[in-house]
Amino acid sequence: MSNPYRVISASITEVIQESPLIRTLKLLPEEPIVFKTGQFVELSIPNIGEGPFTPSSSHYISDRMDITIMKTGFVTDYVHRAQVGDTVGLRGPYGSHYPLEKFDGKDVLILGGGCGLAPLRSLFLTLLHDVDRYKSITFFAGAKSPQDCIYKDQVSGWRQFPTVRFVRSVDAVPEGQEWNEDVGLVTKLLANLDIDPKTNPAIVCGPPLMMKFGTLELLKNGFKESNIYLSMEKKMYCGFGQCRHCVMGPYYACKDGPVFTYESIKNEEGIWE
Amino acid sequence: MIVKADALFSFLTRCAKEELSPYSQVFFPLRPTTHPDTLVLSDNPDLGTLEIDSYRPVDPVKLLLYSVRERVYPEIRNVPERLIVGVKACDLRAVEVLDRAMINDDFTDPSYAAWRKATTLVSCDCTATAPTCHCTLVDGKPYAESGFDANLSRLGDEFLLTATTEKGKAFVQALQDFTSLAAATRESKIEVTKNREQMIQQVDRQNADLKRSRDYTAMRKVKEQPWEIESKECVGCGACTHICPTCYCLILNDESQGKRFVKVRSYDSCQWNGYARVAGGGTPRPKMTERFRNRYLCKFDYMPSNFDRLGCTGCGRCTDACPAKIDFRSAVQMILKAGTLEQTR
Repeated sequence: MSNPYRVISASITEVIQESPLIRTLKLLPEEPIVFKTGQFVELSIPNIGEGPFTPSSSHYISDRMDITIMKTGFVTDYVHRAQVGDTVGLRGPYGSHYPLEKFDGKDVLILGGGCGLAPLRSLFLTLLHDVDRYKSITFFAGAKSPQDCIYKDQVSGWRQFPTVRFVRSVDAVPEGQEWNEDVGLVTKLLANLDIDPKTNPAIVCGPPLMMKFGTLELLKNGFKESNIYLSMEKKMYCGFGQCRHCVMGPYYACKDGPVFTYESIKNEEGIWE
Repeated sequence: MIVKADALFSFLTRCAKEELSPYSQVFFPLRPTTHPDTLVLSDNPDLGTLEIDSYRPVDPVKLLLYSVRERVYPEIRNVPERLIVGVKACDLRAVEVLDRAMINDDFTDPSYAAWRKATTLVSCDCTATAPTCHCTLVDGKPYAESGFDANLSRLGDEFLLTATTEKGKAFVQALQDFTSLAAATRESKIEVTKNREQMIQQVDRQNADLKRSRDYTAMRKVKEQPWEIESKECVGCGACTHICPTCYCLILNDESQGKRFVKVRSYDSCQWNGYARVAGGGTPRPKMTERFRNRYLCKFDYMPSNFDRLGCTGCGRCTDACPAKIDFRSAVQMILKAGTLEQTR
């Protein structure tokens, strides 16, 4: 039996500084890592530590992997110091994935903010791979300010798809920054939604508060609890329900999640923390 | 089979001193000369007197199967054949929980599995209780009914020995090569049954005031205040979780050298503030009361739903280890009482 703690070495082939705090590492693993969109991996900086990150690339690509990471703590500080050619470790993939088969023929709504766009871009790129399978894809992406927007260079390409609607909103536009798209909390975009909330799925990922109010707003709009998919970010330390750090009542964010329906975890405590 | 106590102890001592070699390592509870008021799990017979019956030692068997700190990648191979004698029923029940957590369809911890495979567990009926022992409050008994390779029951200066597994039979064979064993008599079996009944009563008696409801589902519904009262003295040191025979929360340390990836796991504690903290500082249980509550719910709610086993085996070590003198039994009793009140309201 293979060791569940096994680490696959990967080299950094490119670093894209998406925003002052967020960068995307383009990785070349020593062997292909087959995953399903929504699943996460543990990325380790040798002799420093590791953390759970969701790939931001399509799951149709397994010989390379993009991971988008915000500088926000000890390990991610080191991630932001890493350079092209450096070696990192990858374990995984772990956890649950987005149930793509349930999105067939639907108007898919994706709601994300900040670095929560990372797993959502993986989903989005995976959906784009067979874009005709879905009636439409609406992606509401939020950021604090224009300079915090990520994947800037890809947005115009995504907007070429006739059934794709990619809308960005920033909380505020500080002086000196240019912006000619929406301004306001990303959840406000839900007010102009023109898809049937009763039958369509909504996928949410972002900072805890955004996820909380995004979910509440979706419910208010008439989305079903069982159709709201949340990517729960907890301290997923081991990746396979062993270390118990990411326990949410009887669930593990790493094993039973990170993708949960709101219905399945609505009664658990501290889900928005 | 019946084995003389002297012969058994002499066998264990000589194995431990590597004068006999069926096992590379032998562990047993002993009463240290320097600390005669306590029992410890040891592999050094020179430290004190072997005492394999009595009650559970300070150290849970977990320590030997799931080390405080151990490399898990690349995995350790070729662990030594190990014999642990005098394992108590509470620790065996804990091993059952650990087995379910560490060796299952989804996941196998390679190091735990290696140690488990190389270890022979010989249990022994309790003949005394520690003041904090309370196995009968959690549906346990002061003697093992399953989970052992062989079991010993004290009868004066002899032990009744039963082997149930191949490893247990190998232990009996090794013992037989060293000393002669007599056949078990009907009388000896009757006496064991009688002793066991007496021990159950003794555990029951010392916990007579701590009787409680067994409806653990009530625990989750208990409001914050009773938890605040029970956790008032808790300093969050984590001693209870480290000494608990079923706690296995781990940290993975990265000790890689360049491209040689090395992962080392060590104990973590859900009682520590940093336990579930994510990058950026958020944590689902910032208050001590919440972390305190998490431990109780883990034992009586989460573990039962994950493993179909209570996470508490009644060993009482957490109470002994607590620097704030929080008695786990009475805390559980008070919480369940609050839960029952909540339900009838």
